[in-house]
Formats: sequence, C-alpha cells, structure tokens
Amino acid sequence: MGIESKILGSIGEDLACDILLSMGWKVIERNFRSHHGEIDIIANDGKDLVFVEVKNYTYRSFCKPVFSITQYKKKALIHAARTYIMLRNIHDVDCRFDVIAIYKNSKGEQKTEHFKNAFMIN
Amino acid sequence: MFIKIKSAAYLGLKSYLVEVEVDSSHGLPGQSIVGLPDAAVKESRDRVKAALNNSGLEYPGGYFTINLAPADTRKEGPMYDLPIALGILLASETISSGILEDTAIFGELSLDGRVRPVEGMLPMCCALKEKDIKRAIVPAENADEAALVEQLEVIPVDSVNSAIEYLSGEKEIKPHKVDLKALFSKESEYDCDFSEVKGQFHAKRALEVAAAGGHNILLSGPPGAGKTMLARRLSSILPPLSLEEALEVTKIYSISGMLPSRNSLITRRPFRSPHHTTSDIGITGGGRIPRPGEITLSHHGILFMDEFPEFDREVLEVLRQPLEDGDISICRAATSITYPAQFMLVAAMNPCPCGNFGDPATECSCPPFKIQRYLQKLSGPLLDRIDLHVDVPRLKKEELISYPSGETSSAIRERVSKARSVQQERFRGTKISSNAKMTSKYVKKYCVPDSEAEELMKKAISHFRLTGRSYDKILKVSRTIADLDGSEMLLAKHIAEAVQYRNNVC
Repeated sequence: MGIESKILGSIGEDLACDILLSMGWKVIERNFRSHHGEIDIIANDGKDLVFVEVKNYTYRSFCKPVFSITQYKKKALIHAARTYIMLRNIHDVDCRFDVIAIYKNSKGEQKTEHFKNAFMIN
Repeated sequence: MFIKIKSAAYLGLKSYLVEVEVDSSHGLPGQSIVGLPDAAVKESRDRVKAALNNSGLEYPGGYFTINLAPADTRKEGPMYDLPIALGILLASETISSGILEDTAIFGELSLDGRVRPVEGMLPMCCALKEKDIKRAIVPAENADEAALVEQLEVIPVDSVNSAIEYLSGEKEIKPHKVDLKALFSKESEYDCDFSEVKGQFHAKRALEVAAAGGHNILLSGPPGAGKTMLARRLSSILPPLSLEEALEVTKIYSISGMLPSRNSLITRRPFRSPHHTTSDIGITGGGRIPRPGEITLSHHGILFMDEFPEFDREVLEVLRQPLEDGDISICRAATSITYPAQFMLVAAMNPCPCGNFGDPATECSCPPFKIQRYLQKLSGPLLDRIDLHVDVPRLKKEELISYPSGETSSAIRERVSKARSVQQERFRGTKISSNAKMTSKYVKKYCVPDSEAEELMKKAISHFRLTGRSYDKILKVSRTIADLDGSEMLLAKHIAEAVQYRNNVC
C-alpha cells in the first residue's frame, strides 16, 4: 500500500466518523486490528454494536460498493469482529456490519452512501 | 426473544400445522433455518432481507435461529417467507402483536416487499379450521381461494408493510368473504355444443349413457368421423359438480398450482386430454415428493385419450388399477401419497393404422399383421374395464349435407342430470357417486333384471363368453339406461342396449 492511498484512506475514515457522529452515534474505537484483519470504525448506534468498513472509490463503479467487498475481506472482518467481542467480553448486544462508501460522482462532487447490515456471517 | 408463528404445509391433499419458531440471540449478524427446509425455504433468507430493506424497514442485527416445527417433515416452497420476515421483526422487538396465538400466516415475498401468491392455499386453510385457528393472513391473490373455508377469517395482504400494520393493530383489514352460492349459480357456458355434430345418433346416445352413469367409453372409427368432436362435447352434457366435489377438485388444482387466478372455485368438471407422448409418470403422478398426474387432475371429470393405441403400452397398463379403485397410491423413497382418481375415461381410436378398416366406402390398405400389432397395444384387461365400446362410422355424402343439427347439449344435460339425481338418491350415505362405481354388493342389490331380461342375459353370457367383470359391467350400464328411462326394473330392452355396447369384447 502506497503512502498516498494510506492518507486517502484515513481521510475517508475521518469523513465517515464525522457522518456517524452527526447521526448521534458513539464511535468506540478506530482501526481495531486482529491477526487477520482490521475494522475501520467500531461504533454504537444507540442499540446495536456496529462494525463499519469504509470504502474509498475514486470513481463510481457500476455495482454497489457492498458487492466489491470480497469473500476474503468479509472473512477478515468477521474474524476481527469476533476477536473484538471476545477481548472486550461483550455478550449482550446485537451486532451488525455496515459499509460506508465514499466516492466522487460524474460532476466531481464527493458523495457518501451508508449501507446498513451489509452482510451476515453465513 | 422467542416468537412462534403458525403456518401450514401440505403433503398430497393432506395438510398439517407448521410452527415457524424464531429465536434471536445477541452477537454477530446471521441467520440459520432448521427443520428440513428445501432449497426454496433456505433461499428465503435473501428474499426476506431484500424485501425488508426495500419496504423501508431495517433488517435487525443479531443472530436468528429459525425452526420449522415439526422438524421431521420436509418443508417445501416459498410460503414461509412472510412468517419468517414477520418472525424476525417480532423477535427483535421491532414490532409487536397481540393476535399471534390464533393467526396463521402465509406468503412468498418478492424482493420489493410485495406478497406473492402460494400454492396449496385451500388444503392448508382446511387444516387450520380443523385445528381451530381463527384467522389467516394470506396473499391478496389467494384470498378468494382461502375464503372458501367457512368460519375462517381471511385477511388479504399485498405487502410486508400492510401485514405489519395489521399485526400491530395500526390498520384494520376487513376479512375477505366469498359467496359460495353465487359461485355455483353462475351458469357455466361451454364453447361447443352437441347440436354442432351431424348424425352419429348411436354415438351420441352412447355418450349420453356414459355421462349419466359415469361409465368409461371407447370410440372407434375412421379419421374425420367426429370422434374427437364428440368427446370434446361430452363435458357440456355432464351434470355440474356438487359443492364437496368442487372443493375436492379445487384442492387438487390448488396443490398443483394450476388454479386459474380469477376463478377461486372450480365449478366445471375438469376435461384433460394428455398428448399420446405423455409418460406413465405423467399420467399417474410422481416425483420425489409425488405430484398429481393426469388421472388425478381429471378427478370427477373426463380423461380424454385421443389416439388411444398410440400411447405407450406401459402408460395404458398403469390405468388399470386406478380405473378399478378410483384412487392411486404413489410410493417413493421420501413418502407415499394417495391421490383420488375417480375419472371417466374417454378413449378414441382408429380401427387400424390407416383408419379405414371396416369402412364400407374406403378400402383399408393395412396388411393384417399391422392391424393386429396396432390392436395388440390394447390389452384385454384394459378393454374389459371400458364399459361402452362404440363405433363411430364415417358419415355418407348425403348424410353430411342433409342431416339437420341434433339436440342441444342443455337438453341432453337435463336428462343426464335427472338420471344422476336418481343415482344420488340410491347411493345416499355411501361413498359411491354413480352407477359405474357400484361394487358387486350393490350390483346384486340394485341391478335386478326381470325374467325376460334374465333370459337374454344368459344368452349373452354364453354367446359372447363374458367374464365376471363384463357381466357386472353390462348390468351397471343397463342400470344407467333404465335410470335414463325412468324405470325401476331392468327390462330386456335395457339389457339389449347395454350388450350391444360391448360388441367387440371378444
């Protein structure tokens, strides 16, 4: 990963955090790492514990960004989420995975899209 | 939280209650369905999620375990989509309802959140009534069918949202009602009439007898003589279905998914004419979970087999048992199911491959061995089960031009209905519906020939070398002829007419 895309990534994550905070969510942790993967943002929407994956796009592709999360990436996210739940000893909260996509539209304006409960573990 | 929603499943024509149990637990989001679901049930996960998202609802987080109880019978089809979707929302406490205890829910979901119709609604609703469940939430397109079950509140819904609004008490939906009497009083119109058939009085009379007693009939004649034309008009002279019969037929069409959408109750007798390439399984019904075949689809109606000897021999032989028993048991590894099959067999055939054998005007061009091979397809036992054998000769030139058109179907139907009502009176309290279905006990009781007729019968037995079954069949046919005649006793003329319908028995 080049230093450029790393910076781009963290800018995107900051933007996503702002969006979540503006919705009244509580951001609990950022860039949580396990052996297999990393979760960009862990937040609480008042009811569920939400693992947020931020996806940066330089252009808007044909399909929804949810579908560009590969099976491998899903597995990594699920593994990281499991690790987090175990480490923090959480067992009385419903969890879900959200995806926030950040992209530029044809006019060059920056857009964000929020996909709730983007995928399940099976 | 744990939620239980009632639904139903069907196996053959029998239905049983299914409970959709949904348990939500904390943790990573996911879902699993247990209770022997088939592929269509398992796929409901994706449909439910998309349907909820597209209805402006959120699929809740957490893990859901869904059990379809009883867990040992196989659940088929997509009708559990709606109960699963509502169960997930209820279990995650997104919505709440106080009427789950006596409500059953059915429905397939479309991805946009609309509720699509399901198969087998009528038999499943019958099962609900037996289990004293008051209310059923059904797809709007199935409402007519479900409402045929009396004393069941049928709530039609067209989308997930309307189902949720009804369950949580936000919206009232008026129970759907159908007027059974109005459905029946509709005079059924037929697109063909017996008056269109010129000549062929002998065949017409035979068809009238067949219709009056529910007898099987074989029409044989050269091509173009009007066999098919006559057979297709047979349904126009049959008496209308009774309510119980109509419900039974509707159930069969409901589980086969062949119920016409605008017509909730089948009030006309079914007329099935399978092509002669149909396989034996197509005729009897079958599959891993046995589905009804042509003989079941023509229950209480007509199974018309045109070009009878062109059917495969196995296809013809499988007809033997259902013709005798009036039902068919299909055993497969998964299960065994008995379907009703009380049909009237109407067969049409040519006397030889070229069709002209026995025709006075045209010479037959077939060598004898070909005729023999052609007719060998029809086994003795099968022909023995067909009560009436009728020749349909080709009309002569002058007949074609000069004959006035015959009686109308409605006039014949009146006579047939009269004869049928005599039979209904006779067999009140038994399972027998017509003369053709009489067991030998009833033949002895009701088919008593007078002395002259008995003398004639004796002659017929020795002359035609009749089997025990043909003897019984002749008595049954004469009983029908006597019923048409309005006579209590079997007279010689009735027997004589019945005997001549079996002219090619031996």
